[in-house]
Amino acid sequence: MPRMTARERREAYQREYQFQKKTGKPFFPYAVLHDTITSLVVVALIMGLTILWHSGFGPAPTEAGGERPGGFLGPAYEAQADPGTASYDPRPEWYFFFLFQLLRIFSTPELLLFGTIIVPTMLMVLMLAWPFLDRGPERRVSRRPVSMALAIGTPIVLLALTWSGSQAPAVGGAASGHAGAALFADTGLGCASCHTLKDAGASGTVGPVLDTLNPDYKTALDFITNGKAGTAMQSYKAKGATADQIACVASYVAAWANGGAKAASVDQAKYAAACKAAGADGTTK
Amino acid sequence: MAPPIPSPKELAQIPVDWIEERSGLVSGHKYLLFRNVPKDISWLQTLGSGLITTFLIQATTGVLLAMYYQPTPDGAFSSIQYITDTATLGWMIRGMHKWGSTMFVILLFLHMGRVFLMGSYKYPREMTWVTGAVLFLMVMFMSLTGYLLVFDQRAYWASVVAININGSAPILGPFIAEFLKVGPEFSQHTLSRFYSLHMLAVPGGIMAFIGLHLWLVIRLGVSSPPWSKHRAKAGEV
Ligand code: HEC
Ligand code: HEM
Repeated sequence: MPRMTARERREAYQREYQFQKKTGKPFFPYAVLHDTITSLVVVALIMGLTILWHSGFGPAPTEAGGERPGGFLGPAYEAQADPGTASYDPRPEWYFFFLFQLLRIFSTPELLLFGTIIVPTMLMVLMLAWPFLDRGPERRVSRRPVSMALAIGTPIVLLALTWSGSQAPAVGGAASGHAGAALFADTGLGCASCHTLKDAGASGTVGPVLDTLNPDYKTALDFITNGKAGTAMQSYKAKGATADQIACVASYVAAWANGGAKAASVDQAKYAAACKAAGADGTTK
Repeated sequence: MAPPIPSPKELAQIPVDWIEERSGLVSGHKYLLFRNVPKDISWLQTLGSGLITTFLIQATTGVLLAMYYQPTPDGAFSSIQYITDTATLGWMIRGMHKWGSTMFVILLFLHMGRVFLMGSYKYPREMTWVTGAVLFLMVMFMSLTGYLLVFDQRAYWASVVAININGSAPILGPFIAEFLKVGPEFSQHTLSRFYSLHMLAVPGGIMAFIGLHLWLVIRLGVSSPPWSKHRAKAGEV
């Protein structure tokens, strides 16, 4: 369809507006009836989900702060928040899965910027600016190939990201996706509160910046197992971490400090079993 | 001569006229109710009303929840427990708020999809789309801030991770993260900040933008579906 001048566009709109106002049907009762039916369906769906959710509830906990389990729609509530938990697999609400998955895809440190800022900002700007980008008068989607592609592509991409996001193990937001990151995080052994390690999104300042030191596996294992007397670095063996947990997080630090510069020097397959046994790969809680 | 005695109908008309004369609300409502909409309007165009209904459900159940909810680290979880386990129909109120938020997000995508497919964002409805997009972002922000309030393990750790991801973004990231956390660490102030954003600030913004959105929709007239044959000749808008 040829472009219209601003004046043609305005006149065409005015003509259409007058035409629809003259020949249309009254909002009340016609549209009100349909709107009411849709609204009732919405209310029924919400109440239905609530009742289903409630019907799966287990007994209320007897101890303070306990959880109340539920059916397939999830628990009534989990146990009370405990900032000191050793290892927890955090999950966002389902409609944020696609963002989390995006973060996993742009997982190397050089691409991290894409996942956290560039792609989300681009999507946001694209959404806000869309009517100013697609200005042709054609409204039939069959004659708007770009819109058609977006209309088919966007839901597929979003659903795929949501699906894989729901399947993937949580890694405490680590860019590398390494299972040890979950142990490194505040939700794991808590290294993140003292150390800076960019991949894990950790910015602690009590201990040295691990990205700078980039210790090898042996050094890391030694420090984590035995700690260093007289410093804040405690022995995690003494603190009760298992050998598997220590091996897993040590391999993570060795491989992924400094943005994965030494990743190749660490035989990841060798430590994957340790991470699995430590339950850090998301298969167990 | 005594004035004629008004009939009941005339009597009833007196307050209506009084209001109309001073506010114009009566004819305004008549216009709202009896304005014409396009003849071929489709079911897909009722999704916006579905969104209004969902917003009203969220607002009502939210006010009811706020009557019992305590935004402190010690009080939050036990008040959620009280609402869910003990208060009469408390589970229903909390459940409707929880599942209402899910429905809200689904309807947002559907409504946006219909507007997109029908090309209803085109001249002169660009601003309607932009106000809608702002609503979309605000509703997503509501989900984010609401998630923490239950203050169980899932709520807490998901929020910690979400804020940390935010903080890892360059330049503004750390500032936003610190603003949300109220300082460098997650603390009890984080909970009160999330609460005030979730139940005061952002809903106020949403209400204002729904008003703006609807004003634009009514002023410009709802678009007729593009497949409709029933349209003014030689016009495609
Ligand atoms: C309470 C703060 C604290 C915590 C928690 C902590 N560290 Fe440390 N860490 C330190 C300090 C301080 C040092 C420096 C010790 C020294 O002076 O050599 C250190 C040193 C290290 C080193 C040695 C770096 C080098 O090459 O010299 C490694 C590796 C290390 N930490 C890893 C970890 C890991 C992995 C965890 C979690 C399991 C962890 N740390 C938890 C404070 C901490
Ligand atoms: C709280 C969220 C929202 C509410 C309550 C809402 C409400 C409504 C209502 C009642 C209509 C009338 C026609 C219809 O129902 O389809 C409408 C139309 C419209 N909405 Fe929304 N909306 C919301 C979000 C959005 C979003 C996210 C977008 C897009 C980014 C959007 C864009 C539009 C546009 C362009 C129209 C005009 C369509 C036309 O004239 O045919 N809205 N909205």
